[in-house]
Amino acid sequence: MVLMQAAATVDRLRDEIQGVRYREATTTFCRLVTEENRPLKAMIKEAIAAAAPYVQVPSHMMHLPTGEMRGVNYDHTILGWRGAISLMGELGGSRGILPNIQAMWYVPQGLNVWEQVICEFPGHYARDGEQCNRKFPGPDEHVDRFDGPAWNPPKIYFEDHDPIEGGSVEDRLARMTWAIAEGDKAEAYGLFLGLAKDPGNRQRLKDAILFSGIIDLQDTIINRGGYQNIGHKALRARALVDIADYLGWDDSHELIYTVVPDLACSPHLHGLWSEISNICRMELPGHASIPKRSDQPFTERELDILTEALLWGGPYDVNGAIMGLFKRGAGILDVGDAVIVCFQRYLIDVLEHPNAFLHPTHALDYMNVVQSWTRNHDNPHQVKAVFMGARFMNDTVRSNAMFPRDPNSALEPRRHHRAWADGIAVDRLLPLLKQHLLAQDAPRSCALVDSYLERTSERHDLLDTITYAACHWQNDPHVMRNGASSLEEFRHNRTSRHDDIIRGYAKHQARYIKRAPTHDCYRVYADYFQPANA
Amino acid sequence: MSNDTANLGELWRVRNAAAVTLGLTEDHMRQAVRAASVEQLVGLIETFSPACSTGTEWTRTFEPLVERLWAWRDDATMAALAEVFRARGMPWMAVTNALSAEHGARTRAELRQPAWARLPAFTLG
Repeated sequence: MVLMQAAATVDRLRDEIQGVRYREATTTFCRLVTEENRPLKAMIKEAIAAAAPYVQVPSHMMHLPTGEMRGVNYDHTILGWRGAISLMGELGGSRGILPNIQAMWYVPQGLNVWEQVICEFPGHYARDGEQCNRKFPGPDEHVDRFDGPAWNPPKIYFEDHDPIEGGSVEDRLARMTWAIAEGDKAEAYGLFLGLAKDPGNRQRLKDAILFSGIIDLQDTIINRGGYQNIGHKALRARALVDIADYLGWDDSHELIYTVVPDLACSPHLHGLWSEISNICRMELPGHASIPKRSDQPFTERELDILTEALLWGGPYDVNGAIMGLFKRGAGILDVGDAVIVCFQRYLIDVLEHPNAFLHPTHALDYMNVVQSWTRNHDNPHQVKAVFMGARFMNDTVRSNAMFPRDPNSALEPRRHHRAWADGIAVDRLLPLLKQHLLAQDAPRSCALVDSYLERTSERHDLLDTITYAACHWQNDPHVMRNGASSLEEFRHNRTSRHDDIIRGYAKHQARYIKRAPTHDCYRVYADYFQPANA
Repeated sequence: MSNDTANLGELWRVRNAAAVTLGLTEDHMRQAVRAASVEQLVGLIETFSPACSTGTEWTRTFEPLVERLWAWRDDATMAALAEVFRARGMPWMAVTNALSAEHGARTRAELRQPAWARLPAFTLG
């Protein structure tokens, strides 16, 4: 039931976002769309604009008084919107609005990350990751004050700037790429704004910003603490491109303000890019002219060898496996497809602990950015990006493997439930799958998916079921982002094993750690949008 | 005998040689583990910390080691080991759980030794 409240306005939405009143902000957002008939797209723009000044940090490394450093998380508000906008078309109708409401729910919780990690501002990081209320409790021990509302206004670490214009497009693109790599936020942002004004520049600008994001990637996360970006530069660049295309580039100033300065934020990690550039120069001298697709499908043996390298090998095994595929004439997208399906075996067969999904699925999302960049742009460096993605995936596997396995997080094998799943009528499998996904019962969920995949060629409804169930979980933009990546890659993948993407996606969504056990956000959405099959 | 059959026979001889070598190694390991003090075993287990491990290949052998500890050491020793790592808190939780009596009971129940086998069916790792 919707209670009578004061009028929903954009000003009110802005105040609630900046005041970290996420429940109220979400309700206002829903009311603006349903009661005030404001277009969803316009409200997404307003929500992005309200958050934009408050998502920058001075650095993603914080120097501590002890002389050590700690990592500072990347803004996730914009990643939620990118995933939500992508999933909106996949789910369709009022169901497609759910991921947007989840994105909205998260935005007020994701501001001012620098202050959150030092327990001076409320939000998701302060409340959950840092457990600030234990360190600095308020007067009421039953209230977590880091859940909001804010007691201070959020800080602005990077003011808005004017566009930089003048000079050739070629020169400005080169200056922007250099400014991002060197950490000159103002120059990078101003140049981007200036270039984005002219629709004729936008395709090249998109290519350049994706390139800058993709090449900034750690060589390893093993024992590195916060000195990594787990693909966030690439993920932000992709978010910018997709959301600007959705909102319209002329309506994307605040979006650009949200994303571009952070691409130039420290640390800058170009060691892996240098290594891959070197090995390609030495071993693949014609790499700039390798085609995107070849007409030679991979053999099962080739996919097995790549799987072995990604899951059980070291970095040079991965380099060797990828190099071998390119040398035998495979196309860039072909090898990217193979990397994505082979990596699924890690999700499907190996991962057990709910916390252990985080880094590997970042690598999967990074690889999705690489594939999307290759599909939509022509750039002579795209071969190298496939190596980067494969190395990132392998590194996350090895990083997890540096920790002894916890027998208490062991999963029952999915095959134990296969006979049960096969005994259920096909038309009952998807409703049951939704139930088991919501119950976070990975073995049964995966058995149902295995059974469905083998008994029918239908895939759309299966993906819809997994995605819609996944979007019930709140406080986590990774859910939407990974959903968007998995669905996009499934649609494009040309290997014989493309169904493994669905198997990996289902396992992830049935097992990945949840940031809240309740579905409050879903209930707000259901109250206002009354979805069918709720 | 065809070439293929000869090749299979040759491969089986190589495999058997590897099994004999592994069996002897396991036997030496069994003697060493049985003779080790709790402190020495703690020292070995500490090498599986991400900060001390020589790499993933080493850490991935943690579970095979735990199987052997449960097979070759008594409950009192295992409880003493568990207590050491439990006192170290969350970072060692996975190790503590692997040394718990419940996990030990499961592990011992799953180790089988058919009549024809010299050793229990340990994980190779």
